Amino acid sequence: MFLVTELVTLLATNLILTQALGTSTLFIAAGNKKNLLWTAITITVFTSVGSGAAYIVNALLPDGLADLTLLFYTLIIGAIYVLLLTALYFAGSDSFETTRKYVHVSAFNCAVMGTLFTITDRADAYPPLNTFINFVLSGAEAGTGFILAAFILTAAYRKLNSAKVPASFRGFPAMLVYLGLISMAVYALR
Amino acid sequence: MNKKKTAVFDGLLGDNTVLSSLMVISPVIMCGNTLENAIALIYAFSAITFFAVLLGSFVPRRLPYAAKIIINAVIASVVYIPVKSVAREFFPEVITNVGIYFPLLAVNSLIVVQSETRFYRMRRLSMTASLVFYILGFDAVMIVTAFIRELFAYGTIAGRLVDADTLISGLGLPFGGFIFLGLLCGLYRKLRSMSGRGGETGGDGNVSGN
Repeated sequence: MFLVTELVTLLATNLILTQALGTSTLFIAAGNKKNLLWTAITITVFTSVGSGAAYIVNALLPDGLADLTLLFYTLIIGAIYVLLLTALYFAGSDSFETTRKYVHVSAFNCAVMGTLFTITDRADAYPPLNTFINFVLSGAEAGTGFILAAFILTAAYRKLNSAKVPASFRGFPAMLVYLGLISMAVYALR
Repeated sequence: MNKKKTAVFDGLLGDNTVLSSLMVISPVIMCGNTLENAIALIYAFSAITFFAVLLGSFVPRRLPYAAKIIINAVIASVVYIPVKSVAREFFPEVITNVGIYFPLLAVNSLIVVQSETRFYRMRRLSMTASLVFYILGFDAVMIVTAFIRELFAYGTIAGRLVDADTLISGLGLPFGGFIFLGLLCGLYRKLRSMSGRGGETGGDGNVSGN
């Protein structure tokens, strides 16, 4: 029962299905299961670490300089981007050529940046959520939500790209309509 | 010469930012449900993208790819600051409605991905012209989407009531945005294939995030 409740919560707060964040990245990743898994893991790293750093930025940035939030978030993501590339390079320079593409795709996209802003907005609206741990956990939850949405799309990927779908709607248009239907179901859960 | 001209105009119809490459679709899905939102987003997207890509073209090409992407994103975040200040004057309510989608425009794919893979490989004059048409391509889709969704979801045009018999309230919600954009994308591909501009499976398959 606990798992079902968690799954429903994850769906109801899913950034892709409820806020359309990272939809195109999802479409790129869904074509290949290996790409999907690595992209999702990399996005989760960015959202978790980025959210923790966003908490620190929010705490240090005076209210009068709120317009600089985006700039600081960009610098955070930029720093994680460089650190992750460096770590991957030293972890295995042979596989670096393959693994770095996931970092390039995941760094600056709406899923990551949107997560930082969404978590900050939620914390502003409900102050008890404004803790470092909550920021990191919410970031990890957003990444997990991305994985869940990716699996939902992967389940229908082959059919949405099959010859049975009219040529004009095959692929991306069918995937958008499919995500719309799933999003409608999730909307009913909220 | 003709091919060159077509490439410059591509962003408007042939290789539309939203319908062909599926870039910058989240604001269209989430906020493209009223003309008021659409106009504010068009202003922000156009200003941020145009100035950020133009300024980014002065970044040395010899730098590593990741460094250039970060610099492009930082430039866009700096351009965002005056753009938001102006928007606060002209669209104070819309900024609240649009919420997080306003700053997210600064990390759109045209700035962080397409600038390196497409625009900065062109001469500056052609790049500027091409960029303008890519921006206009987004603007056109945003206006059409917002007009139709507002009319059929709320029975209004730019906030003014019109005599619409059938309302589909779901069209104003995120899932309505997904479904509407999917149908628009399919229609765009059909029209493209009929005009002989591309196969029905459409686009260049160049989906690049965001």
